[in-house]
Amino acid sequence: MPDFECRLKKYRQLKEMTQEQLALKIGVRRETIMRLEKAQYNPSLKLAVDISRAVGVPIEEIFIFD
Amino acid sequence: MKKTTKKRCIFFGIICALLIAVSTWYSITYNDSRLVEPMNFSEYVFQAKDLPMLLSGVFLALYILYLFIQLIRAIVVKKRKETGMRSTRKLNPKLGLFGFLGFFGMLGFWTYSVDKTIFPFAFFMFFGFFGFFYEGKMSDTFMDERYQENKLKAQFTANKIALSIIFLAIIILGRGALLGNLEYTLIALIIIISLSIALETFLSEYLLYHYDHDEQSFQSEE
Repeated sequence: MPDFECRLKKYRQLKEMTQEQLALKIGVRRETIMRLEKAQYNPSLKLAVDISRAVGVPIEEIFIFD
Repeated sequence: MKKTTKKRCIFFGIICALLIAVSTWYSITYNDSRLVEPMNFSEYVFQAKDLPMLLSGVFLALYILYLFIQLIRAIVVKKRKETGMRSTRKLNPKLGLFGFLGFFGMLGFWTYSVDKTIFPFAFFMFFGFFGFFYEGKMSDTFMDERYQENKLKAQFTANKIALSIIFLAIIILGRGALLGNLEYTLIALIIIISLSIALETFLSEYLLYHYDHDEQSFQSEE
């Protein structure tokens, strides 16, 4: 299990986006967004950058590693 | 495979069949059935009358080579298309019923007792078709990076299990003939390898579905 905190849900909701809309925007399945928000999936660098651009927040503010 | 290629294959096939039919007729009628009836090739001496049969044989060999090349090309083109695809192939889960073909492997026990034929044991491999049941459930699924990761993980686990079983079986069977009979050892090996291949085919689909399904069971909180 990846050991990090993910604040994607907070920033997604601030952008008033649904999981489906975000998934469509960055080209992944909704289930992947669900797993990401629960910090149960460690994304690739490309996906992390795509998420960061989609919600308009720097990567290090979305994914918090100890 | 393109329609024109298929038509070409059929056309050449018909020509080959006609050539063989004509040359066989010629050999039977004018050449004492040489190269048609079984003969001892160690004492073969070329005669001009053999030419039609030899030529039709060459054409047949070329045709088989042509078919083989077309088959390889079709496989390569299909693979290229699949790598460019973003979704899994569309498949009916009912195809998993083909897994029951694996029971034909039992025929091996009967054929072995009748005429020592052992190849039907290889039918145990068809048990792997039960994997179509799970592949069908994942039919037309968008393949994002998490799906690709899960797929690799499932294939790796399935390969590891199948190879471990084969490895252990070879070590155990290699220690000594089964029941003092080398044929039984060979049969046991064929059965174990066939079942391991079936297990690998099935497990890679089952585990992929399992990884994905477990994750989908988490409900979204939008």
